[in-house]
Amino acid sequence: MQDKMFYKDLAFTGAKDFKSGKLGRREFLYLCALAGVASSSVIAGDAEAAANEIVLWNWGGDAVKCHTSAFGAAFTKESGLPVKYDTSGPLQGKIKEMVNSGNVTADVADADAFDAISLGKSGHLEKIDYSVVDKKKVLEGFAWDYGVSIIFYGYAFMYDTKKFKNNPPSTWADFFNTKKYPGKRSLYKWANGSLEGALMADGVSKDKVYPMDLDRAINKIKSIKSDTIFWGSGSEAQQMIVNGEVSMGMVWLNRAKAVEADTNGRYRLNMNEAIAMPGAYLVPKGNPAGRANVMKFIASCQVAERQIEILRCHGMTPSNPEAFGMIPDDLKRFAVTSKENLSRVLLNDPIWWAKNGGNAVNKFLEAIG
Amino acid sequence: MLVVPLFGLIIALYAWPVINILWLGVSDPELGIQNYKLLFTKSSLVKILWTTIRVCLITTLFSVVIGYLIAYAMVHLVGRERNWMLTLVLISFWVSVLVRAFSWLTLLGRNGLVNAALVGSGLVEEPISMIRNEFGVLIGMVHYMVPYAVLPLFANMQGIDHRVMDASRSLGAGPLLTFLRIYLPLTKPGVIAASLLVFIISLGFYVTPALLGGGRVLMVAEYVSVQILITVQWGVAAMLATLLLSGVLALLYIMSRFMNIGEVFGARG
Repeated sequence: MQDKMFYKDLAFTGAKDFKSGKLGRREFLYLCALAGVASSSVIAGDAEAAANEIVLWNWGGDAVKCHTSAFGAAFTKESGLPVKYDTSGPLQGKIKEMVNSGNVTADVADADAFDAISLGKSGHLEKIDYSVVDKKKVLEGFAWDYGVSIIFYGYAFMYDTKKFKNNPPSTWADFFNTKKYPGKRSLYKWANGSLEGALMADGVSKDKVYPMDLDRAINKIKSIKSDTIFWGSGSEAQQMIVNGEVSMGMVWLNRAKAVEADTNGRYRLNMNEAIAMPGAYLVPKGNPAGRANVMKFIASCQVAERQIEILRCHGMTPSNPEAFGMIPDDLKRFAVTSKENLSRVLLNDPIWWAKNGGNAVNKFLEAIG
Repeated sequence: MLVVPLFGLIIALYAWPVINILWLGVSDPELGIQNYKLLFTKSSLVKILWTTIRVCLITTLFSVVIGYLIAYAMVHLVGRERNWMLTLVLISFWVSVLVRAFSWLTLLGRNGLVNAALVGSGLVEEPISMIRNEFGVLIGMVHYMVPYAVLPLFANMQGIDHRVMDASRSLGAGPLLTFLRIYLPLTKPGVIAASLLVFIISLGFYVTPALLGGGRVLMVAEYVSVQILITVQWGVAAMLATLLLSGVLALLYIMSRFMNIGEVFGARG
């Protein structure tokens, strides 16, 4: 890992020298070969941020295609600035490391709201400029000092319609009731969503979930531990259901449509009591494109039509209230903030997670391990 | 004098990062030994370490036994057949750990090939849970580690003078006695080298337990990665990494008291 970065760095420095004529062509190609990167991508400055482009740090996969069609292409047209992608996944530890190392290569990260809150507090992020970014274009309560919600993702469970034909499960209490609904379950391995589901199953009403009673949630999880398998990635969650390993399985909402299609409708999404997670766009401190440029980019992602496109392409739900009414009929069922769903989902509290997340994840891991 | 730059390079690229990790373990979130104290106050950490050691020991046992059989067969084959066998071992040696884990998922899953055959033939009524548990992790790890056991054993067995066994037989010992009293002791360095290699590599396993364990088999490497990336408790991660490193070094040291480590790993002492 470390030497890969070292070589990559070497190649980028080489690219600059090559462009300015300080380095011969042969030496440059040699450097690229050493780094294992294509010389063309280095010359283009792939993933290397500079003042004249925006680098969006996302999670790869369809994200690149969808971020381009929804946000990137339109922004480039408006501003002339190209949008590039770093697809390595902005986990909190990676963002912190990037800022600490002083080698900040991303301008904006498609991260979690709780990351924005805890990294903001520790001084790793730029403040969001709300004279450029519009607070009114965010569901109330989801614009923070150091990050702003552009999309919501979330957790919900899907169930086997063949097995539970006559009496389909519709609550987390049903999910945790393995007597009435026999079969295996799957939950998210890093605690998020799983803990909230457990509390609701244990009879905590939606508005009383936060602050979470960790021990109570974990006891509930333990009650179905022997029937539960845990996933760490979206594709794993999808695979567990499509392969028929579970009769009810938790998924990331954006995968639900694909799972229904892959199983020919045998597994169906239950949106009641789904846990909506605010994603947050945040800016690592000292981002290469400068604060003004990146704020313009974030503001451009608030446009309602573009958020509808990200829902269509990537399954992420808009956070701009203007867009809620524009959600196409066939996607309403899968969207957190559609009229039919907004009142029956639980909105995650990122402030609780920023404060207690580390402890919660560890306790959860220890309980299931 | 010529080795000075090389020595400097090793310090810069190897020793410095290691020192950094050691330092992080006593300086994050604040100066002190609070991270190490957790080992005594947090029973869950001990449980994770114990799971790791248990899984690695079982993996080592099975890998070395299976590896011994394969190496033994290979030594006693000649020409083309031996080359074929070596090729097969090497091919599985080169296949990516991710590909192997996913292959096992497809083979042993609830609706996988094996379960379909078992249920279809009426041998069992319900599919057997062979993955997403510790058993699945062990299958995946043993499969991965067998070539690591075969290669040192094979090298060791090739160096054995077969006339010694002939001598034993001619003096009246049966095949079993010859194997137990003569062959097995002669392969002891190979067995120890293979066991050490397999055990040490197993300690750092991450992908296989994560995929085949269904989240319920938490080993140290995965826990360290969570502490770095998700919970951002770098001090705890550094402490565990230090613990692993010193465990491996201690293991090598203990072994070196009994035998020449260089010889075990093929260097001439």
